[in-house]
Amino acid sequence: MEATHISRFGVGDKVKQETDIQLMERIGWHQVKAVEDRAMRRNFWKAFAFMSPAIVLVCGLLLMPVVYNIYFSFTKWKKFAGLDEFAGLSNYAKLPGNPYFDEAFYNTAIWVAASVVFPLAIGFGLAVFLRGVPMGNIFKNIIFLPRILAPTAVAVIWFHVYAPHGVLNSLLGMAAGRPVDIGWLYQDNTVTPAIIATFVWQSVGLVMVLVLLGLSAIPKDPLEAARIDGATSGQVFRHIVMPLLLPTLVVVTILSVLSGFTTFDLLWVMGVGYPGQRTLSLAVYMYFESFQKGAWAFGSAIAVIIGIVVFSVTWIQTVMQSRVDKMTR
Amino acid sequence: MMALATPQIDFAAIEARERVSTKKKWPSLIVAALVSMIWVVPFYYMAVSIFKTHPEYTANNPLSLPEGLSPIIDNAISAWNTAKMGMGLANSAMYGLIGAALAVFFAAMAAYGLSRIDFKRQNFWFMLIFSGTIFPFQIYLIPLFFAYQKVGIINTHFGMLLFYTAVCIPFPVLVLRNYLNGLSREMDEAARMDGASEFRVFWSIILPNCIGPMTATFLLQFTWIWNDLLFSTVLGNRDDVRSIMNSLQIFHGSYTTAGPNLSLTAALIASLPAIVLFLLLRRHFMEGMRVTGL
Repeated sequence: MEATHISRFGVGDKVKQETDIQLMERIGWHQVKAVEDRAMRRNFWKAFAFMSPAIVLVCGLLLMPVVYNIYFSFTKWKKFAGLDEFAGLSNYAKLPGNPYFDEAFYNTAIWVAASVVFPLAIGFGLAVFLRGVPMGNIFKNIIFLPRILAPTAVAVIWFHVYAPHGVLNSLLGMAAGRPVDIGWLYQDNTVTPAIIATFVWQSVGLVMVLVLLGLSAIPKDPLEAARIDGATSGQVFRHIVMPLLLPTLVVVTILSVLSGFTTFDLLWVMGVGYPGQRTLSLAVYMYFESFQKGAWAFGSAIAVIIGIVVFSVTWIQTVMQSRVDKMTR
Repeated sequence: MMALATPQIDFAAIEARERVSTKKKWPSLIVAALVSMIWVVPFYYMAVSIFKTHPEYTANNPLSLPEGLSPIIDNAISAWNTAKMGMGLANSAMYGLIGAALAVFFAAMAAYGLSRIDFKRQNFWFMLIFSGTIFPFQIYLIPLFFAYQKVGIINTHFGMLLFYTAVCIPFPVLVLRNYLNGLSREMDEAARMDGASEFRVFWSIILPNCIGPMTATFLLQFTWIWNDLLFSTVLGNRDDVRSIMNSLQIFHGSYTTAGPNLSLTAALIASLPAIVLFLLLRRHFMEGMRVTGL
C-alpha cells in the first residue's frame, strides 16, 4: 500500500512523507487500523451520497417491483380480489397443460433457438462476405439502416409487407405467374417465422457491424506470419481469426437472444390481426393475461417464468464467456 | 539512417494485384446487390406508399410507383391529426431528453462514488445498482402498474419520467464505472489536496472528462426511451401523456380507418427524429456501440 493511499483517508500531510512501515512503527498497528476504519466509514457515507439517487431509483422502481412480482405470483389475485389469499405454487402448477401457455412456451423456445442461430449466422456471414466486396460500405450501411428505426415502426412496415395484398405476396405472385394471397400473419404455421424474420432483418445489421469491429481489431502480424508459413486461408480463419473473434461472438449471441425472446413490440404490432396473438410468446401471453384479463397473480407467475428463462440464458453466457476467456488466454 | 531506410515499395505491383483482386470481385458485387435487396425493398415500399392515396394503393401493385407526389401532404396531415402525433412527439422528446439526461447524470454520480472513493463492499453496491439490468421487463409491469395507481402517478408525465430515469441508470453505471476505473486518479487527488470538496472534484474534474462515454450512453438510453412501447402502453395510456410509439401502435391497430398509406406515413414521422439524430451524431452512436456492444 502506498503512503499516499493513507493520506487520502485524512491522516494529514506530514504523515504522507513516511513509508507505511515507519507509520506503523510510530503509531502502532491497531491505531492505523482504527484510523483506516474510521476513514472507510466516512468515505462510505461520502460515496453513498453520490450513489443515493441511483440506489433509490433502482431499488424503488426496479428491485422492489421484482420482489412484489414474485410475491404476487404466490397469491390468488384476480381482478379485484384474492391479493391477501395465499395460493402456494398453484399458479405455477396451472401453467403446464394450459394450451395457451404451452403454445406460448413452444413459440418462445423457437424464438430462443432462432435468435441464437440466425442473427449470428447471417450477420457473421455478411460481415465476412462484404469485406471483400467493392463498395462494401454502401451495402453495410443499407443493412444497418433498419437498426435506426424503432421496432414499432419496423413492425408497421412489415405488417403491410406481409399483408394479403402486400409486398411479399405480390413478389411471389410475380415469380409464380399467378396471384398469391397467403395471410402470413394470420396463419398458425407462418406467423412466428414471419415475425422472427422481421426481427432478424432488423438485428442483423448490428451483429454485422460488431463482427466487423471485431475483425478490424485483429492484429495483422500473425495473419501475415501464418500466410508466409504457408497456411491456407481456411486454416488462418480457423486457428487465428475465430479464436480472436470468439468473445465478440459470444456477447453478440447473448444480446440477440435476450432481445429476441423478450420482444414485445414486434409481436404486439404485427400480431394485431392474429386470433391467437396471446400465444405468440410468453411476453405477450403475460401482458394478455394480466392487462386484458385481470389475472394478475397468474400474469406474475408467467413473468417469473420469463425471468427464469432469462437467468438460464445469462448463466449459460457466463459459463461460455469464462470458457472463452480461458481458451483465448 | 539505417532505421529510416524503408524497403523498396513496388507500387506498380501492388496496383496490379489490387486490380486483379477487384476484377475477381465483380460477381460478389452482384451477389451483394441482390442480397441487399432484402433490406432495400421494404424501404422502397415505404417510400412509394406514402405518396399514394388509399384508392390508389388498393388499385395498384404495392411496389408500383405513385402517380403523383401530392398525396403525401394529405397523408401526413391526416396521420398527424388522427394519431395525435404532435402530442406524441413532444411527450417522447421530453421523456427521452430529460429521462436519459437525468439517468446518465445520476449514473455518473454513482460511478464516481464507486470508482473514486474507497470504501468497503464497493462491489456489493455496484451489483445492487447493476442488478437492474438482469430482469426481463415483464417482471416490473404488474407491481409498477398498481404502485403507480396507488400513488396516483399512473398516466402522468411525472410517472413516466420517473420510471424511464430509473430503468436507464444501471447500464450507464457499468460503462462509466469501467471508464473511470481506467482514468488516472492523479488529477482528483491533486484537487483534493488543494481542498476541493468531493462534489467539486466530481463536477469540475470528473464530469468534463466523461463527456465522451456520457454522450454515447445518453444517445443509447434516449433511443431506448424513444423506441419503448411496453412501458408507455402500461404506465402512460392517456392521450396527453402517450408516447409517440404508443400513438403509432394505436393508430396502426385501428387499421380499418388508417390505410397502409396512412400508417406507413405515421411510421415514418415517428421514426424521423431518431433518424435525424443518428445521422447528425453518427460518430457518437458508433462509439457507443463499440463500447457497449448494443
